[in-house]
Amino acid sequence: MTITRRAAMGAALALPAANLVRAARAAEPVAIDLFFPVPVQGMLANEMQTLIERFNGQQPEVRVTAAYTGSYDDTNLKTRAAIKAGRPPAAVIMSANFVREYVINDEVDAFDDLIGQDGKTPSEYMDAFWPALRPNAVIDGRVYGIPFQNSTPLLYYGVDAFRDAGLDPDHPPATWAEWVDAAVKLTRPNGQRWGLMFPGTYDYCGWITSGLVMSNGGQYFNHDYGGEVFYDAPSALGALSLLDLMVNKHKAIPPGVSDANACTGAFFAGRTGMMVLSTGSLSFVRSNMKSPYRVAFMPRNLRNAAPIGGGSLILPKGNTPERRQAAWKLVNWLTSPEISGEWSRFTGYFAPRKAAYDLPDMKAYVQQYPDAKVALDQLQYAVPWFDTYSTVAVRKAMEDQVQALLSAKTTPAEAAAAAQKGADALLRPYVERTALKLPA
Amino acid sequence: MPRQALAALLLLAPSAAFLLAFSYWPVLYVAVESLTAGRGGADLGNYARLFADPHFAQAVRNNLVYAVGTIAPSVTLALLFALALRDSTRLNAMLRTLLVMPLLIPLVAAAALFSFVLLPGQGLLDWYLARLGIAATNWLGDPDLALGSIIALTVWKNTGYYMLFFIAGLAAVPQELLDAAKIDGARALARFRHVTLPMLGPTFGFVLPIALLNALTQVDHVVTLTQGGPSDSTSLLLYYIYQQAAQNDDPGLAAAATLISVAALLALSLGTFRALDRGIHYAS
Repeated sequence: MTITRRAAMGAALALPAANLVRAARAAEPVAIDLFFPVPVQGMLANEMQTLIERFNGQQPEVRVTAAYTGSYDDTNLKTRAAIKAGRPPAAVIMSANFVREYVINDEVDAFDDLIGQDGKTPSEYMDAFWPALRPNAVIDGRVYGIPFQNSTPLLYYGVDAFRDAGLDPDHPPATWAEWVDAAVKLTRPNGQRWGLMFPGTYDYCGWITSGLVMSNGGQYFNHDYGGEVFYDAPSALGALSLLDLMVNKHKAIPPGVSDANACTGAFFAGRTGMMVLSTGSLSFVRSNMKSPYRVAFMPRNLRNAAPIGGGSLILPKGNTPERRQAAWKLVNWLTSPEISGEWSRFTGYFAPRKAAYDLPDMKAYVQQYPDAKVALDQLQYAVPWFDTYSTVAVRKAMEDQVQALLSAKTTPAEAAAAAQKGADALLRPYVERTALKLPA
Repeated sequence: MPRQALAALLLLAPSAAFLLAFSYWPVLYVAVESLTAGRGGADLGNYARLFADPHFAQAVRNNLVYAVGTIAPSVTLALLFALALRDSTRLNAMLRTLLVMPLLIPLVAAAALFSFVLLPGQGLLDWYLARLGIAATNWLGDPDLALGSIIALTVWKNTGYYMLFFIAGLAAVPQELLDAAKIDGARALARFRHVTLPMLGPTFGFVLPIALLNALTQVDHVVTLTQGGPSDSTSLLLYYIYQQAAQNDDPGLAAAATLISVAALLALSLGTFRALDRGIHYAS
C-alpha cells in the first residue's frame, strides 16, 4: 500500500478540522426544556420566564426553554404524555406528592449520581432542606425530587371579628377545644358570619383532612410505603368527628363544600371569622384584605402538625447524560438560597432550603411581614404530604366521604369505614405485587 | 381499473387518509386498548372492572339525569322562544341576539363566569335572591344541588343555539298550509300541533342528536366548577374517563368506558333518527 501525497495532505488537514468541529460543538449550549405549573393565577408564569431568561443570560453552557404547562394536574398529564411519546422534558416542577408514582412507574431518574459528583452523599444534600420535605423527595433511599416551592395550611383570622365576638386577637385558638369555642362564639345566625371556613374541594379537602388527622396524633398514611392508608384509625375518626361537630352540631362552618374563592371572599367581607388556607395564598390575602387580620398555627389536639404541599423538580427518564447534566445545573440554580428566597418573597410559598432564611433580604422580609414569620415558625411542626400508589384516586376515597360529612349525608364512623374500604380496593393491585408478594 | 374509478379513488384519497389517521385508527386503538391495557393478554377484564366500579355507575346515573335535565328544557324552551320571536321585528332581532349570546361564549369561560355568579352569599345570584328574602345557597357545594346548577348553566348555554334551528325550521313551514288550516277552523293550538310541529320534524331530527351529543361530550363546566364533586355528585361519563386516563393512569378503564359511552351514544342517536324518521314530513 502506498501513501500518496494527496492522501497524506488530506489526513493532515482533516484532523485539525475535525477537532475544530468538535470544539465548536462543545461551545454550543445544551438546549433543554423545563415544564412548570402555576397552581395559582396571574403573574407567576411571567416571573418564571424572567427567571429562566436570567439563568440563560448568566452562563453559556445551558439554554433552557421554560414551558408553562397549566395546573399541577395538567403538568402531570403533559409530562406523562411527553414521556410516552419518547420526548421527555429534561426537568419538570412536579406536584411533590406525584413523585412517588413516577418512581413506582419507573419514569424518573434519581439525583444520587449528580449529587455524588459534587462530593456529597444524598443524605448530606437533603440536610440543607427542611426535614419534613424529605419523605416526598427521598423514596426507597434515593433522591427523586428536589423541593422548589412549598406551603403548609395556616389559620387566618380577622381581628375585628375576634374583638366583636369577645375573643382576644393576641391569643388565637391553639387547641381543638379553643378552636371549637372560638368558632361557636364567632358564628352569627343566618350566615351573617361563619365561625370557620376552609376549601373542601378535591385536593384541598384531602390536604386539610390529613392535617387534622396529624394534629390528632395520627399518621394518615404510611410515609415510607405507598400501599397503606389509615383512614379508619382513631386519629382519623377523631378528626372527622371534629368536622361533624363544627358543621352539623354547632353550625359554625357552612354546610356543603366551599371552594377557595368562597373562603377568601367571605373572609375579605368579614363573613367568616376564621379560615384555613395555604401559606401560598399569603401574598394574595395580604393585598386583598382591607381590615386587619392575622395568622396562626393549625390548632392541635394531641400535637402540632401541618402537612407540606408544593412542587419539586424531577428529572424524567430517557434523557441523555448531557441533558441531565444541564438540567442539574438548572436545578441547582433554581433551588439556590438566593433564587428560592426571591421566589418565596414573590409568591408567599416558603423557601425549601433552610439557608435562604439566613440571607439579609429574607431576614428583612420576615421582619416586615409577621404572617410570613408565623408560616416559617410552623415549619418545625411540618409533616409529609399525602402520597401513595395512585395518589389522586386514593386521596379522593377520603375526600368523597368528608364532602358527604360536610352535607350531613353520613356519620364520622361510616365515613371512616367507607373511606378505608375504598382506598384498600384502589391500593390492592400495588399491595399484591409488593407487600403481599411472598416467596413460594 | 377503469379510469373513472381510479380518478375517484385519487380524489378521495386525501380525505380518506385523514379519516383513517385521525378517526378510524384512534377508534381501533381505543378498542384494542380496552381489551389489552393493564392485562396480560386480551380479555374483558377491564370491562369487568368497569362495571364493578361504583364511580362508573354513579357517572352513568349522573349523565342520564344530566341528559334528560338539559335536553328536555333546552329544546322545549328553544321551540317556545323560536315561536315567540319568529317574526323579524326590530325588538325580536334584539331579543334573539340576547338569547344567542351564550353561544358565543366558550363553555369553559361561561363556567368561570358562573363560578362567581354562584358563589354562596356573595355571588350575583344570591345577591338578588337575598333581596327576595332567600338565604345564601351553596349552589355547587351541596351534593343535592350541584348537578342541578350544572344543568341550569347548560340549559342557559344551549337554548339559544337550538332556537336558531327552530327559527330556520319555522321559516320553512309553508304559509298556505297554516292558512288552509285556519280556513278549516283550526285554532292556534291545533294549528301548532297538527301543522307546525309535524313540519318541524327534520329540525327535531337534527337538534335532538346534537343535544344528545352535547350531553356526552361537554364537560368543560364540570372541570372548571366542581371536578365531579361533591362526593361524585356531578361526575359525568367523560369526566370519569378523564379521571381514569389522566389522574389515575388507568388507560384500560378509560378505554373501556370510552367504548361503552360511544356505543351507547351511537345506539341512542340511531334510535332517535329511526323514531323521528317515521313521523317526519320532508317538504319537497
